[in-house]
Amino acid sequence: MIRGDVSPRAKDHFDWPLFITAALIAVLGVVNLYSATSVYQGVRAELYISQIYWLVLGGILGGILVAIDYRHLERLGYAIYTFGVFSLILVFIFAKDLRGSKRWIEFGAFRFQPSEFMKIFLVIALAKFLHDDPRSEGRTLKDLLVPALLTGVPALLILKQPDLGTASIHVLVFLMIAALTRVKWKSVLTFVVTVICALPLIWNYVLLDYQKARVTVFLRPEDDILKTGWHAHHSRVAIGNGGLFGNGYMKGTQNQFNFLPDQFSDFPFPVFAEEWGFAGSVLLMLLYGFLCLWSIRIASLAKDRFGAVLGVGCSAILFWHAFINAGMVCGILPVVGVTLPLFSYGGSSVTTMIMCVALLMNVSMRRYSVVPAPDRL
Amino acid sequence: MSLVVQRSDVSEFRRRFRWIALAMVVLLFVLIGRLFQLQILEGEDNKAIARENIVRRITLATTRGIIRDRNGKVLAASRPSYNLYVVPEKIDMQVVWPRLVEYLGVGVDERARLEALLTNIRASDGPRKSQQILLKEDISRDAVATLRTHDAELPFVDVVPVPVRYYPYEEVGAHALGYMVEVDAEKLSKLRSAGYVEGDRVGATGIERAWESYLRGTRGWEKVLVDAKGRRRSGGEGIIEEPRRVDPIPGRDLRLTLDADIQRAIDKAMRGELAGGVALIDVRTGRIIGLYSKPSYDPNALSGGSGKQVIRDAFRRLYSDPLKPALDKTISGAYPPGSTFKPFTALAALEKGLIDHRQASNCRGALTFGKRTFRCTHVHGPVDLHQGIAESCNVYFYRLAAELGVGMDVIAEMGQRFGLGTKTGLGVNAEAAGRMPTRAWMTLRNKGQFRLGFGLNAAIGQGATTVTVLQLALAYAALANGGTLYQPQIVRAVETSAGTVVQEFAPRVRRQIEVSPENISLVQKALYAGVNSEAGTAFKARVLGVDMAGKTGTAQVSHKLARGAEAERVWYFNREHAWFAGYSPSRAPEVAVVVLVEHGGAGGKHAAPVAFEVVRAYNELARERAPRAGVNNAGHKPKPDRGGAP
Repeated sequence: MIRGDVSPRAKDHFDWPLFITAALIAVLGVVNLYSATSVYQGVRAELYISQIYWLVLGGILGGILVAIDYRHLERLGYAIYTFGVFSLILVFIFAKDLRGSKRWIEFGAFRFQPSEFMKIFLVIALAKFLHDDPRSEGRTLKDLLVPALLTGVPALLILKQPDLGTASIHVLVFLMIAALTRVKWKSVLTFVVTVICALPLIWNYVLLDYQKARVTVFLRPEDDILKTGWHAHHSRVAIGNGGLFGNGYMKGTQNQFNFLPDQFSDFPFPVFAEEWGFAGSVLLMLLYGFLCLWSIRIASLAKDRFGAVLGVGCSAILFWHAFINAGMVCGILPVVGVTLPLFSYGGSSVTTMIMCVALLMNVSMRRYSVVPAPDRL
Repeated sequence: MSLVVQRSDVSEFRRRFRWIALAMVVLLFVLIGRLFQLQILEGEDNKAIARENIVRRITLATTRGIIRDRNGKVLAASRPSYNLYVVPEKIDMQVVWPRLVEYLGVGVDERARLEALLTNIRASDGPRKSQQILLKEDISRDAVATLRTHDAELPFVDVVPVPVRYYPYEEVGAHALGYMVEVDAEKLSKLRSAGYVEGDRVGATGIERAWESYLRGTRGWEKVLVDAKGRRRSGGEGIIEEPRRVDPIPGRDLRLTLDADIQRAIDKAMRGELAGGVALIDVRTGRIIGLYSKPSYDPNALSGGSGKQVIRDAFRRLYSDPLKPALDKTISGAYPPGSTFKPFTALAALEKGLIDHRQASNCRGALTFGKRTFRCTHVHGPVDLHQGIAESCNVYFYRLAAELGVGMDVIAEMGQRFGLGTKTGLGVNAEAAGRMPTRAWMTLRNKGQFRLGFGLNAAIGQGATTVTVLQLALAYAALANGGTLYQPQIVRAVETSAGTVVQEFAPRVRRQIEVSPENISLVQKALYAGVNSEAGTAFKARVLGVDMAGKTGTAQVSHKLARGAEAERVWYFNREHAWFAGYSPSRAPEVAVVVLVEHGGAGGKHAAPVAFEVVRAYNELARERAPRAGVNNAGHKPKPDRGGAP
């Protein structure tokens, strides 16, 4: 049985920098959400309150997660992963079609997105795999076949939903964890060449038309500003409109005048950048930078391989979400539906990101603790 | 302490934490670099685009000037109308479109037509589909209210108030007032510098066209905030640069010399006739009191608001009608004046001293000249100049031309002195010059051959001699006032919308005609007899209480040949034009009146009664308005100007 286990020593090592950074981003997110949704009336105008609820709920969940020694997860790694894959399959059976995609499972008024949680489940599974398979010599592609399969199965299921953004995050998380291990240069080269060769196949047989359109618009943004390119164009304009110090809180015209669609979920950063300018945007980016680098530090200080991979995996989730979201709104990446960690509105997203932070906190707080005796596992 | 450290127990990973951290830092700086580019390097450009997104400069329509008659009655004004604009590309045809047509309350056919229009534009490649287009003009007030109530459900649908020209007197006096048309692409290229834009309406004919620059006013504009769906939003302090608004300047109002009640009276008097023109002018000023052309048209149907198809149909009807309702028969049509010209032939002979007005000439009903017989209406017997005019004896005038040597050139010269055969310069509508044929002109026209018989026709206002109704009215006014030929005037003053006179036009004398008062007096007496002596051609048309002097005319037209089904129509078009030209009262003339009934037949029977009716109405109105005397006379202070010409 798994019990809560927070030793006094672990409490002493509560990771305040991690907590404060994550909390600061979350608070900024709520403040920004209030402004972003001020253009709406009715239910949507109250989204910031829902977000606070989600943060509180996520905080409680995170607290529980922190209380349980992360090393218990190592034992349950594959079971959790299997549960995650199973929930992804359930999506195809129970999820309602929403604007052409099936992503959410509903229980009454409550609904969640299994693909969001799958990222963490994948990280736990990969951590377990690498924990169980220590190497001193370099790994070949063949050695990474199992983790690749562990990644590929949920990634393909998610791509089928279709959700290119989340599927990409899974792949990127895997690649970052793979980069952590010592992979032979020959294998790296083979992998890169294979990916390049596979690109036409991915374009022709994997990507859907609307996904291709997003990439095309990314490459030629002036082609279709009124339709496919609307989001990208107007988010760039909004960011640019912020200038050095921004237009001021709730004074971002492109948001207030509705030029930014989905400004609460996928496009909250342009709202923020328009209101707070370059100074505010850089500050937010530095907060993310600090959060991710601090996470890597936590991973590097981890007591064991499982903790180290878990730390890098969680850091990768946070980092790629932040980078892809900011990159797509800035116009350096195609528009894919990826949220900004702890900042975007969304129960599943917020909960997932808090779980990431909680796992990192867990690893960080137990970096000096003794490896538990087998009977306690 | 470095941010990233590593521990020996995770030896496999060793330095890779640093590489991952480094990769993150690099990518983070790529992001910050991009932010620097967007917000600092391209910040001003993006701010400009952002401003452009939300700030629209909308044109504020100006109010076209009101046209009033000489008593202040409104002849042309602007009424509020609402046009429906949509952005074709943005209209949701599944959700928004069905709602829109429901709220508009259009029928099945109209719905199909509008839907076809939208579908065509949406399927096209041009830029029109992403721009706001005019979908429907002059939508009902109920529809406007419904659309405004449901505004939130109708993105990219806009109801724009647009003033539409309105002519309360409808067909009466339409030719003088004119109508408005939507400016076409060709005209627009010339007018764009003057501030015209697509969809603008511009005066096409009449006073509306001639006085366009006074009437139209100057547009204003306003910068407004709009959201992504094109809806107006409030606020904008600090966003919209000054100036935020330039108010439109309304067009100038015009005060005409026309009398709306007289126009109606003319219309009533002409009710029994199919076509023609009437001019009533003040002999003391040259001001036009009535100017009427029949058949007419309703300028409201042509001036917008009713939709392009309706306008196109109205124009088609207008131009396919054989009675030519589009033609202003008082100014744009030139007709042989017939016997109404005789006074000028008489004056020519008198002025040349070629005749003794008392000397009689025997009329046997015709005069043979060369191989041709020139006919009279009947046998008049001995006729002197007085009788010749009063009883309209052709033979008397043939003789003037044939035997006494009153040649074409002398007749033409006298006609020209009275302004006949020359454009009056009224400036409203395309003006026909008419013609006073000379010997040289006739020679040229007949391939070098000239026959004296041409002169005989010219003496009685037939043949190649043509005049306009307005010319003849001015000429008779000059006869009535003793030889002062006035510049015709239809616009008396330019006023502001508040009624302040900006410019007032004094009567302008075109020339003082050099004719001896005695000779004019002789003609005047003859004209009086023409109406008031029992043998006078207009005697039977007299109306009790109307003191008039004048001359009837029956102008022959060149006959058309009837072919099949057109026979009935040709019968009408082969009839003579009926004329009456005169003035009233005979001793102290105030007004000159000319009536032309196209293909009306005898002047005494068809034109003279109209003239009497018109003058009777004029007198009655003058009596009614007596306490307000001075409104329509020349008793105001003249001011240097351009004589009311546009």
